[in-house]
Amino acid sequence: MMGLVIKDMLVMRKTIRTYALFLLFYLVMTLLDLFTISFTTAILQLIVMLLPMSAFSFDEMAKWNGYALTLPLGRRAVVTGRYLFALIMTLAAGLCGLLSCVLVSIFGDQDTLLENMMTVMVCLSLGLFYADILLPLCYKLGPERARPYFYLVIFAPIVLLLGAYQLGLFSPGSLSFLSSVPDSSVVRLSFFFPLLPLAGMWLSYRVSCRVMEGKEF
Amino acid sequence: MTNAIEIRGLCKSYGDFALQDVSLTLPGGSIMGLIGENGAGKTTTIKCILNLVRRDGGQITIMGRDNISQEKAVKEDMGVVLDECFFHDTLRPLDIDRILARIYRTWDSALFGDYLDKFQLPSKKFVKEFSRGMKMKLSLSAALAHRPRLLILDEATAGLDPVVRDEILDEFLAFIRDEDHAILISSHITSDLEKAADYITYLHQGRVVLSEAKDVILDSYGRLACTAKQLEEVDPGDLVRVRRGAYGCEGLIRDRAAFQRKYRNLLVEKTTLEDIMLFIGKGDAV
Repeated sequence: MMGLVIKDMLVMRKTIRTYALFLLFYLVMTLLDLFTISFTTAILQLIVMLLPMSAFSFDEMAKWNGYALTLPLGRRAVVTGRYLFALIMTLAAGLCGLLSCVLVSIFGDQDTLLENMMTVMVCLSLGLFYADILLPLCYKLGPERARPYFYLVIFAPIVLLLGAYQLGLFSPGSLSFLSSVPDSSVVRLSFFFPLLPLAGMWLSYRVSCRVMEGKEF
Repeated sequence: MTNAIEIRGLCKSYGDFALQDVSLTLPGGSIMGLIGENGAGKTTTIKCILNLVRRDGGQITIMGRDNISQEKAVKEDMGVVLDECFFHDTLRPLDIDRILARIYRTWDSALFGDYLDKFQLPSKKFVKEFSRGMKMKLSLSAALAHRPRLLILDEATAGLDPVVRDEILDEFLAFIRDEDHAILISSHITSDLEKAADYITYLHQGRVVLSEAKDVILDSYGRLACTAKQLEEVDPGDLVRVRRGAYGCEGLIRDRAAFQRKYRNLLVEKTTLEDIMLFIGKGDAV
């Protein structure tokens, strides 16, 4: 199964390398105080979210899954390999985000370290959450047909919030109760945020396995 | 000796096409050619063996083991080359070695390297730069480097020039020298199968119409060339299929020697697998 993870990394090495250069660029921009750390970490997670979807596209182009099932792995392992790849990439993006925070605090504003780290954890949670939703969709619909859902999942919450704001159903003031929560508690709590989508990944994985079991190649 | 493949009563329906009651046996130490027209069910049979599609009925055992309940163990012993190269364009043979070494317990990197050398495949070149022949040789190298006991090939030599095909056929013959090994190969190129196969199974419209040792088929079947009047004098029971043309008639004979003894004035020639396919595929029932 690790062979499949390595396969994904080797197939996408060029893309990963390009994204790493992007990351470096954003990091430099952040250190120069041209971008905020929250912007950089959000971009980083967004880029990483595209990787598993690209992996599905590459597999579809090569008709890889039909071949993968001739290997002594089984269907479940094929799914596990893809989830591991998505997880490794998302966690690596989170780690890069945290390192960026440390670098920014060393070379820049030291007071915002915890706040920046909280942003990274929230972005990491969102990255995992998107993976939870998109991986079963890619198995069910294929990467091309799943792509519109990808954008839907990303933009629907923003559209809903804006819509609710326009209709007067929601105002930023309604979140004022959050200011009563001590900052230290929020920061501490944020480190547990990723646990929720991580738990959801198990459910997502089970759904993907079921979809894969029912497929014919 | 355990049979390499045993299929009993295999059924698989797609609605407009159905594989019906397919049974075949591939003894160890031999090569079986699976022939048939496009859409006859060759690939579906192979997909059922590989558990890529769910069968509706029947039983498949590979090297004495059930192909579903013992799928992983079965596939450790199996090398597969399908009609296309499934390795991504952005991979190199070197990468394929790294990937498959972590998948097959018995993967032999040195052996894979030997095959690459033998087939003159550059290990650091990307798959996208390979010709079709090179891609098929790469697939074959990957299928052989974990020392399988059974090779399954689906149209693996289609679209290759005779030189490459001959090279690959030589590799099959070398593989089969070990009596524990066996090959199932589906192909339209019947001349290759006449050269290499020990057994032939002919699928027609989802059914097995012929499954026999190749030598028995080629020794016993015959092609009758005669006039329409002569054809009328032949007992229909002695003919498998007939083809009537403007310049004469032809008939497919199951037992050439017996036919010749019975009809001494008629000329019966040896036949080829291609003739048999054409008779059954395009000929008329008697």
